[in-house]
Amino acid sequence: MILLRQKCLSAGMLTIVCGCLLVFDVNSEQVFAEPANTKSNASATSLAGKPSKPLSHRYATDKTDEVPDFQKHIVPLLGRLGCNGRACHGSFQGRGGFQLSLFGYDFTADHAALLDEASGRVDTDDVSESLILAKPIDADLHEGGKRFEEGSWQHHVLKRWIESGAAYDTKSMRHLKRLEVRPAEILFTKDDESVNLTAIAHWQDGSSEIVTELCRFSSNDDAVAQIDETGQMQSGDQGDTHVVVYYDNAVVPVPVVRPMGSPLGASAAEPRHAVDRLVKQKLDKLGIIASGGCTDSEFIRRVSLDITGILPGGNEVREFLADESPIKRQRLIDRLLDSPGYAAWWATRFSDWTGNSDEQLTNVLPMRNAATRLWYEWLRVRLQDNMPYDDIVEGIVMASNRQPDEDYLEYCKSMTAACKPGGEGLFAERDGLPLYWGRRNFVKPEERAIGFAYTFLGVRIECAQCHKHPFDKWSKNDFESFAELFTPIRFSANLVSNDAKQDRQELLDALTNGEKLRGGDLRRAVQKGAQEGKTVPFGELIFDNSRLQRLLKAQKQARQKGRKPPAVNIPVGKILGEDQTIPLDRDPREALMAWLRADENPYFAKAIVNRVWSNYFGDGIVNPTDDMNLANPPVNAPLMDYLAAEFIEHGFDLKWLHRTIVTSETYQRSANTNETNSMDRTNFSHHVPRRLPAEVVYDAVILATGSDKHAQKLRSELDEMAIAEGKPNRRNQQNFALEVFGQSNRESNCDCDRSNAPSLLQSIYLRNDADMHKRLADKNGWVAQACSELGVAGPRSSVDPREAIMVKRADSYRKQFMVRIGQYRKLPAERQKRLKPQIEKEYSRMVARMKSSGLHVPALALLIKDANAWPELAAPASTDTAIKTVQQLVEEAYLRTLSRYPEPVETEISVTYIRESESPADGMQSLLWALVNTKEFILTH
Amino acid sequence: MKIHRTCDGIQRRDMLKAGTLTLGGLTLGNYMRMTHAGQVQAGRADRAIFIELPGGPSHLDTFDLKPDAASEYRGTFNPIATNVPGIQISEHLPKLAAVADKFAILRGVSHTLAAHRLGREYVNTGSKPIPALEYPSFGSVLAKEQPSENDIPNLVAIPKAGQGPGFLGIRYAALETNATPDFGSPFSVRGISLGGGIGVDEVKRRQSLLRKLDRRFAELEKSDQLLEGLDKFGEQAYSMITSARAREAFDISREPQSFAKQFGEDSFGQSCMLALRLVESGVRLVSVQLGGWDTHADNFTKLKDNNLPKLDAGLSGLLTGLEQRGLLETTAIFVTGEFGRTPKINSRSAEGGRDHYPRCMFMLMAGGAVRGGQVIGESDDTASGPRHEGISPDDVAASFYYNLGIDPTMEYDTSTGRPITLVRDGSIIKELFS
Repeated sequence: MILLRQKCLSAGMLTIVCGCLLVFDVNSEQVFAEPANTKSNASATSLAGKPSKPLSHRYATDKTDEVPDFQKHIVPLLGRLGCNGRACHGSFQGRGGFQLSLFGYDFTADHAALLDEASGRVDTDDVSESLILAKPIDADLHEGGKRFEEGSWQHHVLKRWIESGAAYDTKSMRHLKRLEVRPAEILFTKDDESVNLTAIAHWQDGSSEIVTELCRFSSNDDAVAQIDETGQMQSGDQGDTHVVVYYDNAVVPVPVVRPMGSPLGASAAEPRHAVDRLVKQKLDKLGIIASGGCTDSEFIRRVSLDITGILPGGNEVREFLADESPIKRQRLIDRLLDSPGYAAWWATRFSDWTGNSDEQLTNVLPMRNAATRLWYEWLRVRLQDNMPYDDIVEGIVMASNRQPDEDYLEYCKSMTAACKPGGEGLFAERDGLPLYWGRRNFVKPEERAIGFAYTFLGVRIECAQCHKHPFDKWSKNDFESFAELFTPIRFSANLVSNDAKQDRQELLDALTNGEKLRGGDLRRAVQKGAQEGKTVPFGELIFDNSRLQRLLKAQKQARQKGRKPPAVNIPVGKILGEDQTIPLDRDPREALMAWLRADENPYFAKAIVNRVWSNYFGDGIVNPTDDMNLANPPVNAPLMDYLAAEFIEHGFDLKWLHRTIVTSETYQRSANTNETNSMDRTNFSHHVPRRLPAEVVYDAVILATGSDKHAQKLRSELDEMAIAEGKPNRRNQQNFALEVFGQSNRESNCDCDRSNAPSLLQSIYLRNDADMHKRLADKNGWVAQACSELGVAGPRSSVDPREAIMVKRADSYRKQFMVRIGQYRKLPAERQKRLKPQIEKEYSRMVARMKSSGLHVPALALLIKDANAWPELAAPASTDTAIKTVQQLVEEAYLRTLSRYPEPVETEISVTYIRESESPADGMQSLLWALVNTKEFILTH
Repeated sequence: MKIHRTCDGIQRRDMLKAGTLTLGGLTLGNYMRMTHAGQVQAGRADRAIFIELPGGPSHLDTFDLKPDAASEYRGTFNPIATNVPGIQISEHLPKLAAVADKFAILRGVSHTLAAHRLGREYVNTGSKPIPALEYPSFGSVLAKEQPSENDIPNLVAIPKAGQGPGFLGIRYAALETNATPDFGSPFSVRGISLGGGIGVDEVKRRQSLLRKLDRRFAELEKSDQLLEGLDKFGEQAYSMITSARAREAFDISREPQSFAKQFGEDSFGQSCMLALRLVESGVRLVSVQLGGWDTHADNFTKLKDNNLPKLDAGLSGLLTGLEQRGLLETTAIFVTGEFGRTPKINSRSAEGGRDHYPRCMFMLMAGGAVRGGQVIGESDDTASGPRHEGISPDDVAASFYYNLGIDPTMEYDTSTGRPITLVRDGSIIKELFS
């Protein structure tokens, strides 16, 4: 490969030496065309007209009456100067006795810190003594070095603010309506192009202002586009990315594209499928031609594994390939979406996202290992019924532990029955999934805020727990108000509502014979009672505002008694990103749910659309799939918007979503690339091979190596399969193979809990683990089946050990007898004749002995004639005659592993290998081993 | 196996995708230029042990005590003398104090990333994390530049890797043991011993069949890191299975008890001994983790009762053991957490805790050309920041690479010609090697 060196610079360095080609210059054309208006405050708040000029213009000299605004100017300026960065005063312990909020936006705290006398940063009496003026102009005095020149506009702005009293009105928080960035989109066509960005803040009051010099800038991929601290961009490699502009609480991504080739004309036909159309629009911009379609065998393998997680059987593949119907792909998709495998596999995926973790559910229910089974089944049934996604979520968010009109005892009875093995269906019939609220890592309000946003919004808000989110609009306040919503919801094993306390105590007394037991002893007594079939008490999910109720009662009483009633503040919370407060005197979950399913919700539909999409393409439209934030925009925003809007329009119909994705040409593309798309891995221009998920690999190995009968049983019953949670991830006893292949532990509120990356240990497992040797040689394995179809002995270790001993013993009789025959053969005819009766007697004794072991002895005459007529008894020879040829079995092996027919050369290699092997069984085992170890087996293609 | 979780709950498993980059060739380094200029002497180590302390250990309570600071900073631990005059460390590290001549302490190391994930990525690579691509771990670079023979893994992580191979691609990922060894018990990585009654010849035959049949993706292999990595792992798995070398190296029960005891009988100590056996048998880099340092609450009890005794025995045992085997001169050792902890003790629990604090931390270096028995760098009176110019993680990483004979300013090219400097901003700390 020839490597082109484009620059002599090290990556990561921002210095740009090359000459600048100004392609867009918004400043000169659009903004500065107006004659400069030098004096006045008027320019500071230009209402509904031209945006006011930048600070550098207005404060070029110190002769201005304008007063800078703390929120609009001072804090962003400090941010731009680097003052509130982590390395400087944004550090949690401040620096030099002065601390600012990290990334700004905590205006009250920042104002207080600046005006704190001890910090000396702002001195309104002796303005020039203010350290925010003195320090940044003096490199010696300031550990952070020189930040601006004395007499610069920055200096004037800060000085003017202090002179005017250094005010900040905490009540007049200003709302930034929009941060407009020009140009809104950037197309680079060659090396060393440069573009200057201009940012215009539009405030709620209608005023607007050019704030470019108060913004921070970053590039999501500086190989494609570099951006410096002033907003000047430089073109880089071909590809597409975003540069991001930050000001106030706005985070604005600006798409940058540098096409691979010349952008495509309209010659190519417009695709009919909406997904294809939207994907093509982006590809056209990039000058990428998408790959052609995949083959039928690639399709059946890909779509089966993606929709159901189940490797298709050899016969299914054969039938599909033989089917000549033009709509066979469509039919297969319908069949798969209606199959139990769909619900089973997607309930596993939903279990990941909702956090169905055995570890975190410890002791939530009185019976061990029940919670995770119930959770899974509750999801599975709903997916099977294709319940609308918002309704499924409603069952989780609004969960109540009791059914309508159910009393506590009925609830406990029903749950006791549900927790017994096989009782999961009873639980699935219940409306709610309160277990979601009972996890140990979902107790504190802040944990719930983070977990809820992760599961239902696909958003990571944890940064905002301590400071302004660096990549999104979330402030610490937003986080806290959101977390507040979760405070009154309580659920634990020992908590019941007031009306149930007595009943619970009675149930407990019955289990403990009235003894006062606690902790582990109590749990054991309850477990024991449940095993004996007694009804045991369960915890409840309650909306707990008892404290507020007490206060209100006291207030009422005081009023009645004519005393001055104590003030009662009803606590309030806020939904993420919403202005309206929600009083917590009633259960806030109703409002939360209404917000989630509202058409205009910016996250709810997108989060699930993105996760489902990523299942089919390896990557989401936003990556990582659980990190939607303003600075991390979708790779194809129109595609995301379309799918989310239509998903809502179709009543949150999950199967509509799956069907829309997999019926597209985009999904059905080949992995083979062309010149224009070989480098593309993000715009869905070809199939990108990816390793199968842990559970899918696990099952695929078992299905591929198991006999037809065994595999058929697994496929139809599902309950033993890993994709159907048949190998649940129990505490401290995770299945080794599933762990090695990256099964999710569902504990960290992160889609990265699941890993699809390959590793050396995975290769070692598939090549040499005892599990693998056992499967290849198993009595119920396919090799044993194939040997019987071939009419030969099966794999050595598939033989029953007792049978092996018997055969060994029989073989020693055979040997002795053949020695005897050998001696007989050497005798002269005379003596042979004499000894004939004796030998015949011995022969019939031998036949009888062998018959009892099910073994056949060749005719005596034959034995005398041919010393090799009775071969070694290595293993029980099949009594069947051959019904298949080696060639046919090679074909079978290919179909059941790689879902395709072998190429002629592959058949030849395989058949030769088997012929040259010690036994056909050995050869077959090796072939199956090799096929399961190909890249083709473990990857999608 | 106990997994330590940090306060933000992240156990990162997946590596970030390296943008649209694929791996290209490697340009000529300028390592020779630097050594010719006589700036520093060449590194001597050809293998390494990287000990990660995830969670972020308190510098004030371990290797950077401030006995004269006010009690809200100082904490309850006292300093003790070491076998090097003038160097003091925590009283709960007596065994390390007795071998202080074998390692160098870096104080006042400083950076700005206070989140576990970002901090770990930084100290594990020596380059500040950037969104578009992920830098490779030290071991992955070593695996690429100085690969070991095929029947021994290049890179072993006990039990899990803290950092992936980044833009170098998964073929340079570590073999993760997924488990830690127990004192006195045989240890093996599952699957590396030949099983199923199959002989080496049979495995060889099978492998040749596999090579012939695994051709479907041959075209794409050159440009796809996933395919390339799968191939590499497959070949290496084969080599390891058919040779006894790896399996013997993993089996710590082959060590005499007296030798094993000096590492401490807990799983960290035994992991250190395993690391020693592995580098001895030719593994290029072994990473070992000791977690539980995220002491937001009950800082002192946790350190005194749990973490410090383990670190003390394991690390001192390792240094002593390497010296006994004559390996200390050829094995570069680097010990680090992702950040230090706040000098001011918080009030989250009765005795108090310490929070994340990247501006001031410690790191340890030993082996190879590193001169032990010295302290490099200094923190201020309250260990709140470096007293003078701070040492950056980039500097330490550059020095670690240098000690291993790898030029830290070496460049990797992507297939689009984008040059990436191995350690972007670091300079070699000359004092370490003087």
